[in-house]
Amino acid sequence: MIDIPRQEWATALSALPTKEVKAAAESFESCCHVQDVILPQSGLGLLTLRDGAFHEAFHLGELPVARAHVVLRTQDGQESSGGAVLIDDRATLARAIAILDGVIAGRLPGWETAAALVERGYSARAAKFAERKHILASTRVDFSLLGQVDEEDGDE
Amino acid sequence: MSYVAIKGGKAAIDGAAAVTEFLRGRDDSGEPLNLSAIECQLRLLTSRVVSEGGLYHPRLASLAIKQFQGDTLEAAFALRAYRSTKPRLLATPVQNSTNMRCIRRISSAFKDIPGGQMLGPNYDFTLRLLRFDLADEDPNEFRSIARKFLGALPEADLPDSFPKVLDALRAEGLLPPVAESRNEPFDITREPLVFPVPRSAALATMARAETGSLLAMAYSNMRGYGDVHPTVAELRVGYIPVMVPHPVTGEPMEAGEVLVTECEVVAMYESGKADCLPTFTLGYGACFGHNEVKAISMAILDRSLQKGMQDGPENPSEDPEFVLLHVDGVDSMGFASHYKMPHYVTFQSDMDRLRTTQGKARAADQASQMEVV
Repeated sequence: MIDIPRQEWATALSALPTKEVKAAAESFESCCHVQDVILPQSGLGLLTLRDGAFHEAFHLGELPVARAHVVLRTQDGQESSGGAVLIDDRATLARAIAILDGVIAGRLPGWETAAALVERGYSARAAKFAERKHILASTRVDFSLLGQVDEEDGDE
Repeated sequence: MSYVAIKGGKAAIDGAAAVTEFLRGRDDSGEPLNLSAIECQLRLLTSRVVSEGGLYHPRLASLAIKQFQGDTLEAAFALRAYRSTKPRLLATPVQNSTNMRCIRRISSAFKDIPGGQMLGPNYDFTLRLLRFDLADEDPNEFRSIARKFLGALPEADLPDSFPKVLDALRAEGLLPPVAESRNEPFDITREPLVFPVPRSAALATMARAETGSLLAMAYSNMRGYGDVHPTVAELRVGYIPVMVPHPVTGEPMEAGEVLVTECEVVAMYESGKADCLPTFTLGYGACFGHNEVKAISMAILDRSLQKGMQDGPENPSEDPEFVLLHVDGVDSMGFASHYKMPHYVTFQSDMDRLRTTQGKARAADQASQMEVV
């Protein structure tokens, strides 16, 4: 079983060393046929954001984007589709992640290895998120102290 | 304007490139800058370049900073040039910054905001005194900074994201309603600004504007050539997860995350339309990276431009054409720099006209003297 939702597999795998992800994908390529539904591409994506004041959409700027979509077929006829879109400019990495995505989604032979990679990447991301929470926690303002002394607010 | 082709400068131009590179390599430390050091230790400089370049690629921004020896305008120009060589693969669905994974979140409107205020990384409360110990920093000490910080903190039990301060004000009926327009946002990379432009064009233009230019325009409003008088309802810095459709399922998947600074200001209230109560006016600013002055300046200008679009501009910062056509760093730097290029023909023409005019003036002077005699 893998408890991590599919929408987070790609970012979890991106958190791991690229060599490791590519090596895992290559090992699956050697035992099943991988067909590109679209050629792996790298280019740009336009980031559309909702403004916080009036909720209007506008373009904040562009991002590097790599994407891939593959179909995997095993020798015994099992088939699964995999895909990935990354904020990255390496199409080869997107393709490797698309292969692992397809392997896990289709529970193809050896999928547990790919799932273990996802879990490891997920933990690496969790550590990064924890760092950010440390940043917040260590700088949280405690206004309750303000009420204990008789002083004016620091407003203009 | 006309130019003349110049021959004979190639050796000098090649020499200039070599000299520029020589000055970079003359560093006594013998260590070339590595990109990771630029990205982390000069993170605010990198932030500035990703936002002014309009491309969220911190690593290439670091490379551009290295290549152009710290010139942010040239570095942003290089990022723009790079992006122009790349195909556009997609436009993301509309992302919601409420999902931001914050590292900083403050409000100058309320002490108690839902989720609390967290100062995060900033220099707001730091004395602007030089830290001479950094001049000769011990590498071992440097390496231990992150370890010590993380080791000293207990597990933090905080949510992944926080509600917006404006949502509470809106729920109370103190803010104008959200926009009803669901038009496609204006793409400034594909369409020229032909005025009047929609607000989405103004926001996109300011999001990649040069920080100093945006600040100067907003400062003119703050000092007296305008009357926005903002209160920062919320300023946040953090990572927005970018959700795009999964190529197989079509369901939203996270493609990565982007560091963004966002500012929402509440400005003076104004009378509503018929049958509507008065509400506060609003301004919004956002940009790639961590750049608070830029986000605040943009929010003030967003408000001043709304006023100018509605009632007609009464000062420069309310004039969309004046603001939006003069805040782009690459545009303005290009125009300023082009004056360094040979203008031999145009200047020759200027001299010819001046000599002719002087000659006519002398002749007229002599003629008038003759008449007097």
